[in-house]
Amino acid sequence: MRERVGRWRFARGLKACAAADDEVLTRYAGATWPSPDLPAREAPLLALDFELDGLARNAHVLQAGWIGFDSGGIALAGARSIDVRSLRQLDDSAVAVHGIGEERARQGVALQEAARSFLGDLTGRILVAHGASIERDVIRRISRAMFGIEAPVRSICTLQLERRISPNLVVSDAYRLSAARKRHNLPAYAQHDALSDALAAAELFLAQLSKLPPDVRLGSLESW
Amino acid sequence: MASELSEIESFLRATAPFDRLDEEQVRSIVRKITVRYFRTGDEILRSGEHNDFLFVVRSGAVELRLAGDELTARLERGGCFAFPSLLRGGEVRNTTTALEDTLCYLLPADDFHGLRKNSQGFRDYFADSEQERIRSAVRDLKRNRSQSLEQITIGSLVPHREPVSCSPNLSVADAASLMSDRDVSTLAVCSDGRLKGIFTDKDLRNRVVAMRRSLDAPISDVMTPSPLTLPEGASLSEAMAMMAAGGFRHIPALGPAGELRAILSATDILAHLGDSAIDTGMLVSNAATPDALIAASRQIPDGFARMEAGGFHAEHTMRFTSALGEAVHRRAAQLAEAELGPPPVPYALLVFGSLARGEQLVGSDQDNGIVIDDAVDGAGRDYFADLGGRISDILNEAGYVYCNGGIMAKNADQRLTVGEWRDRYSRWISDPDEDSILRATIFFDMRAVHGSAELAAKVRGPVLEQAEASPLFVSYLARDAQRSRVPLGIFRNLVLEKSSDGEKVFDAKAQAILPVIDIARSLALSEGIAAVGTLERLDALAEAGKMARGDAESLKDAFLLVNELRIAHQAAQVRAGIAPDNRIAPATLSPLERDYLKDAFSVVRAGLESLKRNLAGGIA
Repeated sequence: MRERVGRWRFARGLKACAAADDEVLTRYAGATWPSPDLPAREAPLLALDFELDGLARNAHVLQAGWIGFDSGGIALAGARSIDVRSLRQLDDSAVAVHGIGEERARQGVALQEAARSFLGDLTGRILVAHGASIERDVIRRISRAMFGIEAPVRSICTLQLERRISPNLVVSDAYRLSAARKRHNLPAYAQHDALSDALAAAELFLAQLSKLPPDVRLGSLESW
Repeated sequence: MASELSEIESFLRATAPFDRLDEEQVRSIVRKITVRYFRTGDEILRSGEHNDFLFVVRSGAVELRLAGDELTARLERGGCFAFPSLLRGGEVRNTTTALEDTLCYLLPADDFHGLRKNSQGFRDYFADSEQERIRSAVRDLKRNRSQSLEQITIGSLVPHREPVSCSPNLSVADAASLMSDRDVSTLAVCSDGRLKGIFTDKDLRNRVVAMRRSLDAPISDVMTPSPLTLPEGASLSEAMAMMAAGGFRHIPALGPAGELRAILSATDILAHLGDSAIDTGMLVSNAATPDALIAASRQIPDGFARMEAGGFHAEHTMRFTSALGEAVHRRAAQLAEAELGPPPVPYALLVFGSLARGEQLVGSDQDNGIVIDDAVDGAGRDYFADLGGRISDILNEAGYVYCNGGIMAKNADQRLTVGEWRDRYSRWISDPDEDSILRATIFFDMRAVHGSAELAAKVRGPVLEQAEASPLFVSYLARDAQRSRVPLGIFRNLVLEKSSDGEKVFDAKAQAILPVIDIARSLALSEGIAAVGTLERLDALAEAGKMARGDAESLKDAFLLVNELRIAHQAAQVRAGIAPDNRIAPATLSPLERDYLKDAFSVVRAGLESLKRNLAGGIA
């Protein structure tokens, strides 16, 4: 039921994009999107991560990192990382976490430019992130601000998926990215760098996928 | 961008062989990589397939089996695989399976070949064969050593000092004033530019004043005639070994035409090295009592540890330690003779095993015997029983503990006449069986360290002839060598064996060094080669065309590599006050040392295989 509603919402969102007068959105709408009934192993994917300047709903994007992949592997040639220019005073605590100072944030590219870039790469792909709802919400918010239209996003959340694969872990933090990776024998990566986190999520998803039935349906893994 | 895939870049930079590339080269390949994940049990590559990637294990572990069958290797984090297929155009021979959930980085063949083309270090690492890889490893080790005694010539150490010399007819008084005027402690006695002898301060004290000799006597009467010399191009290590073994402090260095160029003194070397190996040698050779000898001998392990810390090559450390061991044995025999009176007939003190080969480290027990002139009578045998007992006792106290197998002069069956030794060897050679060979191999590495070298030669000569003419004996030797369990490598903290899953520690001597010794001994005896040292035997075999030069070099490299590890291990034990052994815990090895070991093992296994094919077939 949830999936059906989700599919309908996505289709409706694409229709809105198709009617937009911006090429990024029309291409987004016109792309061949993988059917939710496709085996997940055949789906084109994009791991994406934003570093934000705080936890508020209107937090600014400081950095975006993403990389396209599929079950056959992650080609690093496609990795992208962009520092986003922000004119807002940075939230001190967030800056301490991400290590992105105001200086660097001011030197980054404009948000619009970054958004065109990652929306282009997300076209026809399913977003993969650890806690994907954040990335999905930010994309919708930016899209609404830039184009007046919310670009619909199909996504797989490795956090939710991990809860399915290893349910009932009671230790606090057991489902955090680093802990989940460790369970799948993946190396420890420094966190809070957008590209590094995106790559970490991509690898985690490959690990998770390897533990699911070979013909597992894409739609059954998506967050609708 | 500072954040650009830094995780992968820093991993590669810390991982062989990418650590040999410059920063730019590493950066240029990061974006060529594809990351793949394999679940436990997944087949990554299958024998017979085609492959276009170099695989690097980022996390997890994989297992390689040749043609899917025989275990070839296990690799963990940082291990590279599938390059042999790239080197031969893509055909995969090892089926590779994920032992654990494994993350791999894949580098395309084109980029792999590009790096091989542009980086010598990278190319060396992926040399087509273990032989080449191990050679480059030995090169690296040697390059990294702080002092290379092999490269320093004695000529370069005393370059501008014209030695003070005099003619043989000069009176002692005049010679002494010459030495005083020129402020030297050593005088070279020459005629026609040729060195005839040397005369030192100590000679003046011991041979002139103490003996109350006339100061008018010619210097030739009291000099040390025909001293041991070295060409000025000889290495410092040779000079040190000669001093340590001979117990003297001066070595004349000769020019190309045999003319005297300089006199190298121990002080010159000490000033250069600040080391005490020669001092220990002096203390040993000059020990006036067994207690003094024992005290001097007990310094050898500390000197050994200092040599290791000083960056000496394995060859030199073995050579010095053996030279000192030889000096202790010789002095023990001299002191025993001093207690018991002169021997009734000529004899020689023989050593066997590592000391005979010049490959001794510390913590060895004693392996020795006595060869006595055939003319000995019953009373004479009693004398040698006392002498042998005394020698063994002194050596035991001096740190060369009693031999478990009873191979020591203390025991009657180790005190034989020339004829009796010949019979004993003859029985081993003409009527071999597995059990006797097992215990007899050590006797075929034999050398006299004191007494009549002629007697020892009378035993050794016929032994070599008889062995060369006895293929059955040699085939027993070759088969005996096959008992060693040479590991495949070190995986995690296990010593990886072909049959089992490995064990906790690895015995560097039994599992890597002894097989090389066995190979060299078996082949040398089959060819009548007289050399005793393993490196010398391998050289002689290559020289005689009995072993491919490349194979001989590889075995030498493997032998030296493992001995470097043994020496480091034993030196650490000496420093910690633990009795030295050969049992190395894998956890103490660096990833690089594990790589080196894997190649060394592979070379030794190949050597054993070849020995089996060529010589072990003679047994029905």
